[in-house]
Amino acid sequence: MSRVTRQLKFLNKISAGTPKSQILVNPEKCAALNLTFQYQNHNGHMGARKFWREYLPTLQFYNPSLQIRVTRVKNEDKKDVGVPCILQVLAKDGNVTSTVEMRNKDKDVIMDEFLTIVEHEKVPESDIIEV
Amino acid sequence: MLARFSRTPGRLSLSGQTLRVSSFHTARILNAEETPSSNASKLTKDQAKKREIRRLAQRKSAARRPASDHRLYMPVTKALRFLRAAEVGQPRSQQTLSITTILVSERGTPPLSGNVSFPKPLKDIKIAVFTTDEKQAQIAREEYHCHLVGGPELVEKIKQGEIALDFDKSLATPEMANSLSSQLGRILGPRGLLPSAKKGTVSENLGELIRDSMGTLPYRQRGNCVSIAVGKCSFSDQQILENIIAAQRSMKEALASQKTKKPSLLSQTTLTSTHGPGIVIDFA
Repeated sequence: MSRVTRQLKFLNKISAGTPKSQILVNPEKCAALNLTFQYQNHNGHMGARKFWREYLPTLQFYNPSLQIRVTRVKNEDKKDVGVPCILQVLAKDGNVTSTVEMRNKDKDVIMDEFLTIVEHEKVPESDIIEV
Repeated sequence: MLARFSRTPGRLSLSGQTLRVSSFHTARILNAEETPSSNASKLTKDQAKKREIRRLAQRKSAARRPASDHRLYMPVTKALRFLRAAEVGQPRSQQTLSITTILVSERGTPPLSGNVSFPKPLKDIKIAVFTTDEKQAQIAREEYHCHLVGGPELVEKIKQGEIALDFDKSLATPEMANSLSSQLGRILGPRGLLPSAKKGTVSENLGELIRDSMGTLPYRQRGNCVSIAVGKCSFSDQQILENIIAAQRSMKEALASQKTKKPSLLSQTTLTSTHGPGIVIDFA
């Protein structure tokens, strides 16, 4: 694979790779997302990390005004289960409207749950950008 | 016949395997043959020169092609949308956008370097001032709030590694310049931080110098490209565009003042972020 093809693949993955997160959220009710999880995968934090890597770039791409903040906590101790693994949805006034518990869940499950709580509409087929 | 026979064991010996050569004189022929064959992949001087000329011509013609022909070409606003998406969730401090321009220059051309002043700077520029003159030091400290101000004792501290090299620019008065280059040349030199009269960072009157360099960021050519950080992902499109234009203007100026007969050409320019892809933009 040439250098350029690899880059194009990377770009297309952002804009057209994950159909599930090709949505337009309602900016009034969902102005920001806060994610908190561990650096390390243990205690069921892997789904959250995968959700961030797979779905959030596309979500940000179609919702440029959405503020997404990811807080990752370093926790080497496997017995310490106190680190939260949550996704918070913030309204425009900064209040947390809903929370998704991401622990021990697959990235697709987290995405489905996110879609049920957030008011959204699909990006029309004609607006999907492919390079 | 002999030639074909001898080539096989010759290659075997190169790959490090044991070989058994039956008779003594075959081995001698082998040795004699190996010398030219091991040199066959190397080019003669003439060929190397021709190849270099050919490659330069290729790079020049690539530089003349418009950026919009490239498969990764995008308008800046669209590119920024992609880069911001790629950068999602990363710590703020890591979300730096930068442009990299490939330069096509003749051999022996001095590397391109210059200063760029951005309408929206990325961060406050930290300046280190080396001087033994108390009056100058006071100006630097009180009027301009320089990051580090000091004389020989500061030099000693940097040499010992007690102070982190986190400044972007360093200035000095002439009486310090010599001892600086002898003592700190090895440390500051490779980072392009060593004050020198040639770069215009040594002066009797530091106040003026500091004022000029307060809002500017130095850049220089590394290899055959120039890289400048132009913004953060949190900047607006307008601010980033203004910064890119400032960088372009300063680079054109630097090209015009380059001391050479044939000025370098600006070739493909990519806009990229810390974790994102490189996207070709229109720059020239």
